[in-house]
Formats: sequence, C-alpha cells, structure tokens
Amino acid sequence: MMRKKTCIAMLLAGGQGSRLGILTKNVAKPAVPYGGKYRIIDFPLSNCTNSGIDTVGVLTQYQPLELNAYIGSGAPWDLDLSNGGVFVLPPYQKGKVGEWYRGTANAIYQNMAFIEQYNPDYVLILSGDHIYKMDYNAMLNFHIRHGADATIAVRPVPWEEASRFGIMNTDADDNITEFEEKPKNPKSNKASMGVYIFTWEKLRKYLTDDEADKKSSNDFGKNIIPTMLADKQVMCAYNFEGYWKDVGTIESLWEANMDLLETPMPVDLHDKKWRIYARNPGLAPHYIAKGAVVEDSLVTEGCEVFGTVKHSVIFAGVTIEEGANVQDSVIMPGSVIKRGAVVRRAIVSENAVVGAGSFVGEESGNIAVVGTGITVPAGVKVAAGVQVDENTEY
Amino acid sequence: MKNVMGVIYTGENDARLRELTMTRAIAALPVLGRYRVIDFLVSSMVNGGVKNVGVIMQKNYHSLMDHLGSGKEWDLHGKNDGMYVLPPFLTRENVGVYSGMLDALRSNTNYLTRSKQEYLVLSGSNIIYNAKIADLVRFHQESGADITMMYTKDPSMQRDEYGCYISIDETGNVTDVEVDPTHPSHENTSMDVLVMKRELLRQLVDKGVAHGHHDMNRDVLIRLVAEGKARVNAYEYKGPCWRMDSVQSYFKFNMDVLDAAKRRELFHPALPVYTKVRDEMPARYTDSANVVNSLVADGCVIEGTVENSVLFRGVHIAPGAHVKNCIIMQDGYVQADAYIENCILDKQATIKRNARLIGPAVYPIVIAKNVVI
Repeated sequence: MMRKKTCIAMLLAGGQGSRLGILTKNVAKPAVPYGGKYRIIDFPLSNCTNSGIDTVGVLTQYQPLELNAYIGSGAPWDLDLSNGGVFVLPPYQKGKVGEWYRGTANAIYQNMAFIEQYNPDYVLILSGDHIYKMDYNAMLNFHIRHGADATIAVRPVPWEEASRFGIMNTDADDNITEFEEKPKNPKSNKASMGVYIFTWEKLRKYLTDDEADKKSSNDFGKNIIPTMLADKQVMCAYNFEGYWKDVGTIESLWEANMDLLETPMPVDLHDKKWRIYARNPGLAPHYIAKGAVVEDSLVTEGCEVFGTVKHSVIFAGVTIEEGANVQDSVIMPGSVIKRGAVVRRAIVSENAVVGAGSFVGEESGNIAVVGTGITVPAGVKVAAGVQVDENTEY
Repeated sequence: MKNVMGVIYTGENDARLRELTMTRAIAALPVLGRYRVIDFLVSSMVNGGVKNVGVIMQKNYHSLMDHLGSGKEWDLHGKNDGMYVLPPFLTRENVGVYSGMLDALRSNTNYLTRSKQEYLVLSGSNIIYNAKIADLVRFHQESGADITMMYTKDPSMQRDEYGCYISIDETGNVTDVEVDPTHPSHENTSMDVLVMKRELLRQLVDKGVAHGHHDMNRDVLIRLVAEGKARVNAYEYKGPCWRMDSVQSYFKFNMDVLDAAKRRELFHPALPVYTKVRDEMPARYTDSANVVNSLVADGCVIEGTVENSVLFRGVHIAPGAHVKNCIIMQDGYVQADAYIENCILDKQATIKRNARLIGPAVYPIVIAKNVVI
C-alpha cells in the first residue's frame, strides 16, 4: 500500500510533435533539446519538484527510447524516491487486448490504477510541449480555495492572435462560463495553457463516462472539459502572467532559444530559488580558443570554440572549428561545425556535422534544419527553410 | 574488478598552498572550473570498476564531505559497498590526529577488515591523474608481485627535498625507494598509488604501527625494498599528471589544461570525470564579451574581457573588466572596469569597480574566500 498523496501529476509525453519535422523523427517532442543544456521535459519536471509535487507519471507512446533513458531513475529532478518519484507509463497489454493511447483523456483513463495507488485528492495534468516556470502549488491552493472541480491555467495572448488558441470566457470571479476552441470572434484573450488540476473524484467519473461514449475522441479539450462545463461543474481559470512558450514548430523552437539571449532573460534560468534541473552530461567546462569570437550567446560544458559564434545557443560537446561562423543559430549536443562553414538562422540537431566551407541557412527566410546524426558534405549550400536528412540531395 | 576496493588518503597538506588549503584539504581544492582534486581520483577508480571506495579524512574535511555527499555522482550509493567517508575519531590509542597514512589506516582497521574485496588500491590525494585503474590492477595480478607502485617518468613531477622516487630493474622490480631526497636520483616518480592484497595491507599497518611507524613510503616501502622482504614492482602511468604542492603548481595545472592536447589527454572520453552537479544554466556571453584561450564553466555571465583564464561556475565578469592569466573560483565577481592579472580568486571573492591587481607571473596573488577588494 502506497501512502496517500494530496496531489500527483500526470505528464502527457506521447505526442510526436510532427510540426517539428525531422527534429522529432527519432525522439518524442518532450525529449527535444532546448536552451543549451535542457530538454523540453526538464521544465514541467523541475516545476513539479520545485512546487513540492513529488509523484509524476510520464505517459509515453511515440519513440520513447531516448525519453525513457533521459528520465531514468528521476535523480536529476530529485524524483528518485521510495514514496513517490517519477514513473514512465507506456501503453500496455490488458488481458488479451493491448491498445495505444487514443487521446489525452484515454491515456489518463488507461492509467487510473496508477493514480488510485496514491489515493490523491487532486490530479495535475501537464504536457511536455512548453517552456515556462510555474508554481503548481499556488495553482493547487487556488483550486482548493475556490472549491473547484477543475482549474485550467490561462494566460493572456494578444487579441489578434486569440483565434489561434483555446479561449476561456470567465466571469469576474474567474469562473469559466464558456470554452471556445479557436474562436473566429474571441470574447476573451485568456488562452488555455494545457495545464489542468482536477479534483480526482470528479475526473475519475468523467473519464469513465467519456470512455463509455463511443463517439468521443477521448480528449481533454474536445470532450472532458466541454462536458464538465455543460454539467455546470465548478470550473475556474487560473491566471498565469509569466513567460510561456509553445515550442511546437521549428520557428517557435528557434525563437524560444533566441529569447534566452535577450537581456533580461524573459525566463530567468539563473533563478536559484527555481532551478531548472537537467541530466548532466559530465563534461569539462567549455574552451574558447585564441582567435575565437563569442558574443551574445549561450555556451555550455564540453564545447570547444575556435571560430565565431554570434547570437546563438551552443549545446554540450559541440565543436566550432577555426574559421567557422555561426550566427542566429541553435547547435545541439555533440555536433561539429567544420572549418570555414557558415551557419545562419539554422537548427543543427544532435551529433550532426556541417562540412568544411558549407553554407547552412540564410540571413533571412525560414529556419534551416540539419537532422540528427546527419553529415552535410563539404562545400554545399543548404537554403533557408530546408530540412536536411539522409535522403537530401545537394 | 568486483574484487578490488579503493582507499584514498586525504591527510596531506602543504604550507606552500597558502590560503588555498587554509580551510580545506588538498583533495577538496577546486580545479579546472568545476572539479575538485578528489574527483579525478574517485572517477579513475570508478571507471576501473571499483565499487567500494573509502576516503580517509583528516583536517578541515567539512568541504570534502559536503562535496562527496552520498557518492551518488560517482554511482557509489548502492546497497552493497559504495562510498565510505572515514573522518578521524578518538580511540584509546588515537587522539584523532594522524601522523601519517599508516596511522590513518590503523584507525580504520575495522573498515579494512569488514570489506570483502581481495585487492586494494591505495591512493594519496596530492597528485592529479586520470588512470586506467583496471590496467594497473591487471598488471599487478599478472605479475604476481606483493605490491605494485604506480609511477611516472614525467620530469615536471620531480622536486628537490620532496616526493618519493624509485629505481627499477629490467624485470620491473623496484630496487630502491628514496623519500624527500635533496635531489631525486631516479627519474621515476612514485605517484603514491599502490596495489596490493587487502590482507597484506592490514598486516603491514598492524606491524608498522606496533613498531611506532607512521609513514607508508618512509617506514614501509623503503624497508620492504631494502630488506627484500616483499616483491615490490612498478607500473608506468603514461598519462598526464600534476602535483598539487604549491600555489605555483596549482596555477600551472590549471593553465596547462588550456592546451588542447593536454586537455584531451586528461578528459579522455573513455575515462569521464564525475563531480557534484550544480544545475547552472549555460554560460552567457553578451555583445561586449571578449574571451580568448580560456575555460569557462556553466552559470558564468561574461560581459568583459577574459584572457588565458579559468572561470568556475557562476562567475560574473562585468562590462569593461579585464581578466588576464587568472583563476576565478565559484561565484567570483569582477566588477566594471577592474583589471586583474596573475590572480587566484577563491570562492565568492569580489574585485570592486576600477580596482587594479597585478601579481607577478611566478607568484600569483591569492585572494581568500569571501574577500572583497
């Protein structure tokens, strides 16, 4: 018998993130590198541990190998506990049938037994798609204070963009009166962040009912939340003002990395009271050689820079050779930019090589991408917006 | 390698390290931006498959204990064996201050007796190396010797009136051991790393202490070799190594590793060096940053100029500040328009705005922990 927990978290990490193109060809989106030494999932996991939520189920489905290995025992986030901790929950066989997670709600439904072990009062539902620092405990207190059945975190978005989001219309007391998915004429600019707290008793009922409904697509946004609203359950909006960035596309992932080069940083990663933890590769401090130029950039352990790096984010173990020039780019772990190569407005994925004298990306236009483990031959040109994989012809 | 345990003795100290070891053991000296001396020794053992590592502590061991913690970073936190931190304690015959390695081992006889491994690697802690310990142990086992000493031919390890030097015959046996000679007469420098059976060490410690001996090299090895009572042979370590016995040698070690070839030798991909992780963000360079030939750790913010220097985690170099040939430990802060050259800043030291501090290249200035100048 497990000890009771007031609140446990379930992190939906099964999505492919197909809009990230070749970056998620072999890894799930939450395992995509970000910010020089992190992966996207470090943010929700660190938020949990910093918020005092010490039991987290991570639901995986798409390309889970790297994500599983990365999470491991959960030690980097202090989630290697005997009572609680982090658990990877893949879909599994039940009796004679086995089935994939069909939707976000179905994924939680299939893991009800896991949740019940802890007999929680509340369940926090998270996704592994966003960069943000948030105190879930403050949100939980809000949920309890309002006697809510469900609380949905919302943040203000510019009015002209509101029609791209799931919008919550609320009354003066933050009660949600209406939920509109991508409304043409938005009545509010409070967009859902995909962070929910449910009173477990209620959620269990709605998940069970939803599962019985054959027409349902078993999705929180499409089914569970509209049904609860229609049933006049107490639904509250929790306003979040801080930095929050969806990194679901190549452009937004690139932008989110570039945001870290702003002064002051819109998401403060120096904050000692709210550290973002990550698995450490255990490499030596980075080396900046004679003749190298590094400006306006982030550089981390294990890198060796002999060339020029401006306004870029350089991950662990990257080598920038002499005469190479990297600008406005993101170079992921273990990659090598060879002598004289020029990289502009690009994302070079893990363990890739940009050959000597090659050009990747352009000063304007879309972001160019070099896939994981790909070698771009010497002396070729990769135009803006092109994604290089093993089938690319130059 | 399941049958091998490691013991690291951290009782050495040296007045020539001045302020650097006033509040810490040599083993706890911060080096190369994110490490402490002991990280190299423990990592070597762990990379060699050793799963039982005892660290004997002597003076000022607080920072060392804090750093090692449960041994988690070195995967030494299992149920069987793991990391054993052995601080001094009072016994009937011991007042808690060891007069040498033998004394220290004697106080920890219980640990030696209770360990299960047949072989033991014993290391000092004032020489930094990154060795393939598995190769050393295999050499020892195959040679059938009673004791194997690890040594180097690196001439930079030789010192007048300091250190242990050995001569070796053509069969690899040690024929002479000299300790702290006026001038070393052998080109082979002992690295204070020994391999032998655990049981043999226990006997040597018992007998040695019973005869009023304290020192491993002087009282045990010299006698054993001179009297031919045991077969002592030697294993040559060909990798890079440094002696931490003065501010100058500490400074030189950090500067040497700015050289790419030396760095690659020390940080061999097959022999990773583990340390306590601090979860700092990557180093940030602003548009006024100008850095050449330097090692920079995570968490640094660089707005000024840095040349030939080693910056530890969380160091801040403000705009207009200029740092040349310096080592700046954790959370050091060099304020705007300050100029420092040939300085070692201990942890959390601050150099105020417009200050100028230039040490002689042969005798770097040491700024103690938490000092503001």
